[in-house]
Amino acid sequence: MAPKILIIEDDVETAEEIGELLLASGFAPRQSFDGREGLQLALEEEFDAITLDRMLPSCDGLEVVRRLREAGRHTPVLMVSALGDVDDRVSGLRAGGDDYMIKPFAPAELVARLEVMLRRKSHGEPQLVLKVGDLELDLVSREALRSGRRIELLPREFKLLDYMMRNAGQVLSRRMIFEAVWEYYFDPGTNVIEVHVARLRKKIDIPGEAPLIHTQRGSGYVIDAA
Amino acid sequence: MQLSQLWRTTTARLTVLYSLVFALGVVALLGMVYLQSTVYLTRRVDGILRVEANALAASPPAELPRLIDDALALNGAQINIYGLFSSDGRPLAGNLRALPPRLQPGGPPVETPPSRSFPANARLIALALPSGRTLVVGRDVNQLREMRSIIASALAWTGPSILLIGLGLGVAFSIAPLRRLRLMQAAARDIAAGDLKRRMPISQNRDELDMFASTVNYMMGEVERLMTEVKSASDTIAHDLRTPLTRARAQLHRLQQTRAGQDEDIDRIIGEIDSVLARFRALLRISELEARERRAGFTTVDLSEIARQAVDLYLPLAETEGVQLRLRPTRPVQIEADPKLLFEAVSNLLDNAIKFTAHRPVPQEPAPQAKVEVSLVLEGQVPQIVVRDNGPGIPERERSAVLQRFYRAEDKRLIAGSGLGLSIVAAIMRLHRFTLEFHDAEPGLKAVIVCHPPHEGSAEGFPKT
Repeated sequence: MAPKILIIEDDVETAEEIGELLLASGFAPRQSFDGREGLQLALEEEFDAITLDRMLPSCDGLEVVRRLREAGRHTPVLMVSALGDVDDRVSGLRAGGDDYMIKPFAPAELVARLEVMLRRKSHGEPQLVLKVGDLELDLVSREALRSGRRIELLPREFKLLDYMMRNAGQVLSRRMIFEAVWEYYFDPGTNVIEVHVARLRKKIDIPGEAPLIHTQRGSGYVIDAA
Repeated sequence: MQLSQLWRTTTARLTVLYSLVFALGVVALLGMVYLQSTVYLTRRVDGILRVEANALAASPPAELPRLIDDALALNGAQINIYGLFSSDGRPLAGNLRALPPRLQPGGPPVETPPSRSFPANARLIALALPSGRTLVVGRDVNQLREMRSIIASALAWTGPSILLIGLGLGVAFSIAPLRRLRLMQAAARDIAAGDLKRRMPISQNRDELDMFASTVNYMMGEVERLMTEVKSASDTIAHDLRTPLTRARAQLHRLQQTRAGQDEDIDRIIGEIDSVLARFRALLRISELEARERRAGFTTVDLSEIARQAVDLYLPLAETEGVQLRLRPTRPVQIEADPKLLFEAVSNLLDNAIKFTAHRPVPQEPAPQAKVEVSLVLEGQVPQIVVRDNGPGIPERERSAVLQRFYRAEDKRLIAGSGLGLSIVAAIMRLHRFTLEFHDAEPGLKAVIVCHPPHEGSAEGFPKT
């Protein structure tokens, strides 16, 4: 069944845009143009995730997510805001948001972030070994193995592979990678992340093996066995 | 110029206040002189009268009328008064026809107005003689009275006239400052009307008006600089954004003509539009940084750790670009800063250094090994982060221009980038009150972040008058 997503967004045009995008990406979207009404909906019905505008007329986005959490609901919330400062991001996440995205955004990135959130939600048990195809990453011994071949990873490469494998099959933008692996929130030069991924790829995908790390033109990278 | 405006100037008010104080002082002084002199002179007259009267009273009673006549003949009947009266009040001798009613024998001296027998103001005393007669001795006191009235009228005139003079001077003194103020107002009106090159006039006096004017002029210099920056920024935005958008449009047009799904074309269009979006993101980032409250994210930061992380982030890129990137090891250096922002600044400097060192605009023969080195030095007690490369460097005349938004030296336009990296660094520097300096590394560029301690340079840049 398609995951149900609640879009709380006061700007009708943006809400429609997100709605169409999610519908096209195989989600079941539902819109609400008002904070209070959105909160009501989120409390009454079960959604798989919520995209929440930070600035809403009747009830502020921070307030919505805070009240939702107070009511004991753990629906993942992706906050969408024109406020992009680190402080705004921190206050958004502290109020109970699961991820934070700055307007304007690339449609593919919104979908990617939602999928990452849904995946995180479905993983109940903490995993000890991540697997993609014949690649294994042991989170305890911090070792990577591909078809039994041991791969030496630098600490940062380990973190990068960890993040990509947890979100296998999911296109990850450079910015998402930079935020998740380096935990910085500015725009790094285009090539910086590219080169880090390329290096990791060189270690993972040696000639003769089916490539696991793929470049998605214009949007980012994905690790996938297919 | 209206009088009411003149009166409102500080100079006028001070002048009038001073003359009021001065006038009060003079009036008090004159008052003292008046009091002291009249009392002194009156006492002297009374003393003389008493001595004379006692001398006459001590002479034999039978000779008294003759002595009085002699005294009148000697001293003149116009200045002195002598009189001898019987016990029933009849005049026996002298130039006084009747006893003045208020005069008591043995009592205090009395002043009488001019009368028929004596044409001037006189001061009289009376003595009761043992024979029952009364002796009166008196003196013309017109001189004394005149002196008193001279001093009194001086008293009455000086106060108001000093005040009047003060008022006049106050008005006169404030004409000049008010005229200067008028010139300043005119300058301010011109500035408000858009002439940002206009400055407040400054005189040779170096007084408080000049101090104020030079502060305003300094401020106007900053405003002008910012306005020029904004203007050149919007010019460059228009110019820089038009190029990728025009290219994207041309490619879209071609696609429309061919109607074939050409992935390469679409990729290129997305690339062009992405570069436009990257520029807007950078612009928004700068205004975010500029609007930020200063110490919001401040904490104690180890500079060596920041340098290490930045090198760690850029090492793969440098290797791919054929640039030797190295970090000169240092001891930890603790300062107060926003670690995320400082990291962003160092990253930007590293990004530039690698970009420009790898892509030399003029290939040299033989090309030396491209190198970028990050180090941490202590200049005195002030820590500095140094990013040094052996690339083409920045000519001295362009060094301040590169901090402006969108600036890129003409010959470097071919290299990808928003042209906003250094503006972001500059904004981060301003937030920290650090400075960014460029030096010649011979060959290459040495970019230095000078991390001034917080107390330093708080009033930096203000003119000293």
